[in-house]
Amino acid sequence: MRKIYIVAILMVVAAIVLLTTAADDMSTYATFGQASRTGDRVKIAGQLSKDKEMYYDPAEDPNYFSFFIKDTEGEERKVVLLSEKPQDFELSEQIVLTGQMKGDEFIATDMLMKCPSKYKDEEVYIKNEGK
Amino acid sequence: MQDIQYVGEHLLPGQIGQAAIVASFVASLFAGISYFFATQRRDKEEYETWRGMGRWGFIVHGISVFTIIGTIFYLMVNQYYEYQYVQAHVSEDLPFKYIFSAFWEGQEGSFLLWMFWHIVLGLVLMATGKQWEAPTLSVLSLIQLFIGSMLLGIYVGFGDEPSRFGSNPLMLLREVMDAPIFAKADYAAQLTGSGLNPLLQNYWMTIHPPTLFLGFASTSIPFCFAIAALWTREHKAWLKPALRWALFSGAILGTGILMGGAWAYEALSFGGYWAWDPVENMSLVPWLILIAGIHTNLIANSTGHSVRSTYIFYLLTFIFIVYSTFLTRSGVLGDTSVHAFTEMGLEVQLVGFLVFFLLFSAVVFGLRVKEIPSPKKEEATSSKEFWMFIGTLVLLFSALIITASTSLPVYNKIMQFFNPAFEGRVITDPEPHFNKYQLWIAVFIGALSGIAQYLRFREVNFKKYASKFGLHTGIALALTAVITYLCTLWIEAKAWQFLLLLFFGIFTIVTNLDYLATFVRGNLKMAGSAFSHIGFGIMIVGILASGLNKRIISNNPFVMDGLIEGASREELARNILLFKNSPLIMPPYEVTYIEDTVDVHTRTFTVNYKRRDEAGNVAEEFNLYPNVLYDKTFTKIAASNPSTKRYWNRDIFTHIASLPQVEIDMEYRRQREDSLNYRVLQAPIGQPVTLIDTVELNNLDTSVLKTYRATVVRINRTPAHPDYKPEEGDIAIGAEIKVERSDEEGVFTVNPVLVLRGQLLYSYPEQINELNAKVRINEGIFDAVFSPETELDYKPYTFKQGDKIEYQGYQIQFAGFNRKPEHPNYTPREDDIAVSAMISVQAPDGEAYLAQPVYLIRDNRPFNIKDEIPGPGLHFRFTGIDPTTETVELQIAQSNKAAERIPIELATNSLRSDYIVLEAIEFPGINLFWLGSMLMMIGLAVSMGRRIGNRVNV
Repeated sequence: MRKIYIVAILMVVAAIVLLTTAADDMSTYATFGQASRTGDRVKIAGQLSKDKEMYYDPAEDPNYFSFFIKDTEGEERKVVLLSEKPQDFELSEQIVLTGQMKGDEFIATDMLMKCPSKYKDEEVYIKNEGK
Repeated sequence: MQDIQYVGEHLLPGQIGQAAIVASFVASLFAGISYFFATQRRDKEEYETWRGMGRWGFIVHGISVFTIIGTIFYLMVNQYYEYQYVQAHVSEDLPFKYIFSAFWEGQEGSFLLWMFWHIVLGLVLMATGKQWEAPTLSVLSLIQLFIGSMLLGIYVGFGDEPSRFGSNPLMLLREVMDAPIFAKADYAAQLTGSGLNPLLQNYWMTIHPPTLFLGFASTSIPFCFAIAALWTREHKAWLKPALRWALFSGAILGTGILMGGAWAYEALSFGGYWAWDPVENMSLVPWLILIAGIHTNLIANSTGHSVRSTYIFYLLTFIFIVYSTFLTRSGVLGDTSVHAFTEMGLEVQLVGFLVFFLLFSAVVFGLRVKEIPSPKKEEATSSKEFWMFIGTLVLLFSALIITASTSLPVYNKIMQFFNPAFEGRVITDPEPHFNKYQLWIAVFIGALSGIAQYLRFREVNFKKYASKFGLHTGIALALTAVITYLCTLWIEAKAWQFLLLLFFGIFTIVTNLDYLATFVRGNLKMAGSAFSHIGFGIMIVGILASGLNKRIISNNPFVMDGLIEGASREELARNILLFKNSPLIMPPYEVTYIEDTVDVHTRTFTVNYKRRDEAGNVAEEFNLYPNVLYDKTFTKIAASNPSTKRYWNRDIFTHIASLPQVEIDMEYRRQREDSLNYRVLQAPIGQPVTLIDTVELNNLDTSVLKTYRATVVRINRTPAHPDYKPEEGDIAIGAEIKVERSDEEGVFTVNPVLVLRGQLLYSYPEQINELNAKVRINEGIFDAVFSPETELDYKPYTFKQGDKIEYQGYQIQFAGFNRKPEHPNYTPREDDIAVSAMISVQAPDGEAYLAQPVYLIRDNRPFNIKDEIPGPGLHFRFTGIDPTTETVELQIAQSNKAAERIPIELATNSLRSDYIVLEAIEFPGINLFWLGSMLMMIGLAVSMGRRIGNRVNV
């Protein structure tokens, strides 16, 4: 057999091993319930509860921003993001957080927001009167 | 619904553009077919006829595409907002220099950019391709046909919901959406643009996309050559021209990707140049495969081995470009990427594009695979080609595992299609995940690209060569070990895997330098590969230095510790609060927020960094200028641009993470100002008044009392305030007020100002940040300061020049006349006869004052203008002159000082807002990353240049 093939086979084996270990790096989107049961570091997708308090006072702690989201099962929890409050946060429709539960709060270190397309409303098309 | 005759629309350019879209589509089809027959016909005359038709078709296609692009630019420059694409990407206030960025911000524009480069490259092929012209351009026209179909925007099918084919950039807004405004015939004049996303308004957006798309487009050319060679059975002849194009493509695509990294690092506040974002990954993957292809192509040129692999790699490169296009543009990445496009209804078409070229390549390759020549004899393990080939497998392997992880959302979609209950999987933390695997790839590449340089192609007698090989390898290993050790003094490797990577990164630098010195012997033409591999090694060292030893300077000492196991304090706290003019020590720097300036929508902050030596002297000092860009309404921050201090061995990166809410949203600031709880204090001048404030503590049933003490020191008739710009006719009053608080050290002096301009009052309050207090004066001050004349009891006195009298304990002397009187309330006229009396006053406490009441005759009538000395409350009028006795008559009165209470207002809930939230990161050795990666591209370019040179010479 050609040596190249041996190398190729070794690589395929390595790939399979890698892919099986990679499974540890992956998870499904968790819910708050699962996160508090397992205590693992997980990703949670949810919707911002716009009626609940959002708290960010940089004068107190510039790395503390708290808000509430509803996960896919509708459970609402307080989230603490260890970073500043991002711009346009209020507009976000869908939020993906990475972190883990600590007591009743979800402590997130990373956040991804999906904002609605900025061209949805008719009002953005029309010039302001008197401008 | 009745038809509306719209007015004010500009339909002609749109119609021209629409025609050009159809023309470009048809012409690419025509060119593809003509070139197809040109390739098939052996007869020279027939071939030339078909080729001529193909050329015409391709040129017409090119002109059509240029026309579409020109039309869109025309519409954009003229801001014809009735067109949806113009409305979505341009606005009145968009600077002209960003018009290109606006053009390729959208999907359609970037497709056009891609097509544009294909046409440019196609024309080069037409001019230089010789026998390759017909088959390669036939394939290129086919690719153009597919991309062009993305712009058609025609509806196909029947029933209630015909499916749309392509997304047309020249649609009118009223054709793509339904809104009440389109009921008006003159709606076009009322439209306004949404404009370019402020994040994209910088020069990187002008140069990165065209470079990247030239890179994308250039991968099509080796693909076209591969198909052409398989088609025409020219399995050898294609290798040389394909290699030139592949080297070009490798350099440009690599540069395009690097520019993306530089943009992320320099202009966006990502705090890094690479984040393993799916969009980044999927531009890297084709590049990796292309580089693998270049290596097998080199092997094939030198030995005749690996022709098949070269085909596969070049075919795969383009297929992965299409796959990348599918991933980033179909919306499938959804919430795993920061910067993927959103869905546009092109998903099916994109899948079609991908599947077609995948099957097309597979079929063409499958039909010819048997006849592709390859030497019977196996490569020797001691030969260069053997280890180079292993290297290409490692690259392919790297590309495939990146693709596998990045394609997780696609896998989820497919699984959900068969089993809707399937729960999608995601990678929890992408960066460590990718780093973990790619580290080993880099180790192998470092080792292989080092050793392989010492080996020779078609090695037949390794024994003879072995000692030389062993000597060089041995010395290189020893030298590498020494340098690695030296590097660890600077870079903390943190884990043995990183140490290993560092070792092999340096190994490839050492071996390739050796190769350059002893094998190439200064022959620069041969140096391309050495350059690239040295670049790779330097890049690895740079990645390790900047990635492992990246240090967040803006550590917050007050962070809650131990919130997350395994996460260091450093990772948790990235931002720090920096008050204006109060330096903060962020080792090794002393950082001070000095000032900020606003220019239109941009607010630039000056942040000063000082490093002191042991003696406390400033050893080094520099300023950084991060800025924020407000949106049009000043109610939010649209973009925050970092500022970086560059050293040869490290960067200091600084960006404004946040600002006080009142500085972000001016609307909120107004509300906040209105909600301040001002309390009025009647303060006699020079005597303190007190205010007791009750502060409720958060979440506790207790409150604390805080005592404020305020003293009006003096009243200022010509006040100054940073925000007050005096105008003619203003009546302005300021008060110098000293404020102190029981629990806070220090006395704070403020100078609020109140201005009466016409009928309007303008208040200029002053903030005391240390006390969270704000002070202003209210309009009562006018009554207090300008005592009503009726309450004054004037007494007449007659003075000769130099006379002195005593009045209420004050020594009052008439010092003389001033024939050019100046008085705030007196505006001279030409015929006036005016004179003022200079009166000097000495108070019992020794203080001296001067008053100058004015006497004037205007239109034969006498007038006088009073003057007053506010402190003692003395009022003077100059009421007459008796020339015969040389005396003057002065009237003097003193206002009731007890009544002179100055109404000041104090708000105790005005939070300070003179701070910024700063993120500062130190990246050591980042320039090694840029240097190394650029060297890689230069190496590719040098190799390409050498091969083009050879071609001309031969």
